[in-house]
Amino acid sequence: MSYIHVQGLNKRFIVRRKREKGSLLREKQVIPALRDVSFDIEEGELVGYIGPNGAGKSTTVKILSGILTPDSGEAAVGGRVPWKDRKEYVKHIGVVFGQRMQLWWDVPVQDSYDLLRDIYRIPEDAYRQRLNELTEALDLGPLLRTPLRLLSLGQRMRAELCGSLLHRPRLLFLDEPTIGLDAVSKLALRDFLRWENRENRTTILLTTHDMEDIAALCPRVMVLGHGQKLYDGGLSALLSRFDRTRTVTVRYDGEPDLSVLPAGLGISREGELVRLSYEPETLPTPDLLGLLQKAGAIREMTVQPQNIDRLIADMYREMDL
Amino acid sequence: MDTIRLYLRSMAMLMKSQLQYPASFLMQTLAQLVMEGGELMAVILLIDRFDRLNQWMPGDLYFCFGLMSVSFYLTECFGRGITGNFPSMVRTGQLDTLLLRPRGVLTQVLCSAVDPRRIACIAVGTVSLVMGSRMAPVLWTPVKALLLAESVFCAFWLILGLFLIEAVLCIHSVRSVEVANALTYGGRSACQYPIDTYPRPLRVLFTVVAPFALVMHVPASHILGKPLFQWPLWTAFLAPLSGIALFGVMYLVFRRAMRFYRSAGS
Repeated sequence: MSYIHVQGLNKRFIVRRKREKGSLLREKQVIPALRDVSFDIEEGELVGYIGPNGAGKSTTVKILSGILTPDSGEAAVGGRVPWKDRKEYVKHIGVVFGQRMQLWWDVPVQDSYDLLRDIYRIPEDAYRQRLNELTEALDLGPLLRTPLRLLSLGQRMRAELCGSLLHRPRLLFLDEPTIGLDAVSKLALRDFLRWENRENRTTILLTTHDMEDIAALCPRVMVLGHGQKLYDGGLSALLSRFDRTRTVTVRYDGEPDLSVLPAGLGISREGELVRLSYEPETLPTPDLLGLLQKAGAIREMTVQPQNIDRLIADMYREMDL
Repeated sequence: MDTIRLYLRSMAMLMKSQLQYPASFLMQTLAQLVMEGGELMAVILLIDRFDRLNQWMPGDLYFCFGLMSVSFYLTECFGRGITGNFPSMVRTGQLDTLLLRPRGVLTQVLCSAVDPRRIACIAVGTVSLVMGSRMAPVLWTPVKALLLAESVFCAFWLILGLFLIEAVLCIHSVRSVEVANALTYGGRSACQYPIDTYPRPLRVLFTVVAPFALVMHVPASHILGKPLFQWPLWTAFLAPLSGIALFGVMYLVFRRAMRFYRSAGS
């Protein structure tokens, strides 16, 4: 059996809405957060988990980390059922919520780690060794004596990551870890996750809205929408389904004669620049090039693929999310 | 043992973090001192008007007030995680992070907060306790000292148990519910005075439901040499255990409630 095995998971939430005028009882609304979700993940995999807000990503993570119990369905991580025997199970997992801190706010980072050592009952030797390893990989050395509240967001996220990996979890859940981080911090974080995944064979499930995270890290991606799993496979295979149009920007010498170009290219002008988009499937690139040359003398030209966020938005729209 | 060590280490760390803001700490402690000192002044002014309350002389009353103050604020100081922070931990979903660690939830909640400002209130309580025992006067014996220690210890668990009622309601409704305050803060105000000064319904409430009378007044009356209801000495040792029993029951209820916990936020 695979390392993570999830079969037919269902979870509903009952939300009480505000009482409407004239009715005595408050209306209850049942929201299906997860509908029949199944998947398998092997040990050492790095999987991206995406979907619009409210798709059920966090619910899945909460069930798999033992915080919530599903209404029906089964799940096992390394042979253990997450919501049974919580204390034993959570020794083997680590969770980082991008918007929720687990370290203590007013104390030096090192003190927080020491307390985590006591909470997880990590032997002193193992703790020292792991802390050294992580401080080096995350470049935390100079920050250990600083109280958490004085750290920048990027530094804080690195400190959090270190804290949730001290007990060497076999499985790491990351819930939007790069939210609000600057470019340098994001890149450093991605490098670290790749390192941890490679060196310690830690299985990582990454929930995010940042498609660059996924593109940079995850060979495999799962798409969730309205509580259902809609896609499971490679990111490029997923994108190629929606990645049809290319944007072309051309600068002409002199005034071009745009009337030779066919309709439906969405031509727009911006000073000297002519911008248009086309689908190579329907209008072969050599044909377009011929037409563009016929219109005038081309001085320079760029072709751009579609923005990845735009693609995902198209995908969500097509999947009716 | 391991759990106690964890608690002590957490306390040490939290104290350190509180002292990161020394000025604020000092001012708040001072405010607490004024607050609880004022409370004591009110009691003194009130008692000054009467010679006695039933068989209780002023010294006896100061003693009871002190006993309640010391016990209640010890709980507020060292049980702050439950008496103060729990509702907001549920509301903000901070409780989730505790569920992700291999320790009991209640242990971690207790380890998550301390309120050293209450030292001021405990000091006022101690003053009242000493003043009362001087005036009564109490002739201290080892047995009486033991009774007092047991009473304070059991009261700690009783009050913690009563605060757990609010925690349980909070798990179910996510929002903080104030009904349980009737027993906690209400109990503190009422049971500053010996139980037999109250009419029957209140006496039943604070003996059977929230047994402040059993935990505090029964042993205190023996220390003061005026046994309540003429109960023998051994009852003074047995009765306070009801506080621990109440905590035990509430602990089981709390564990059951945690199964229905619905984590908030994402």
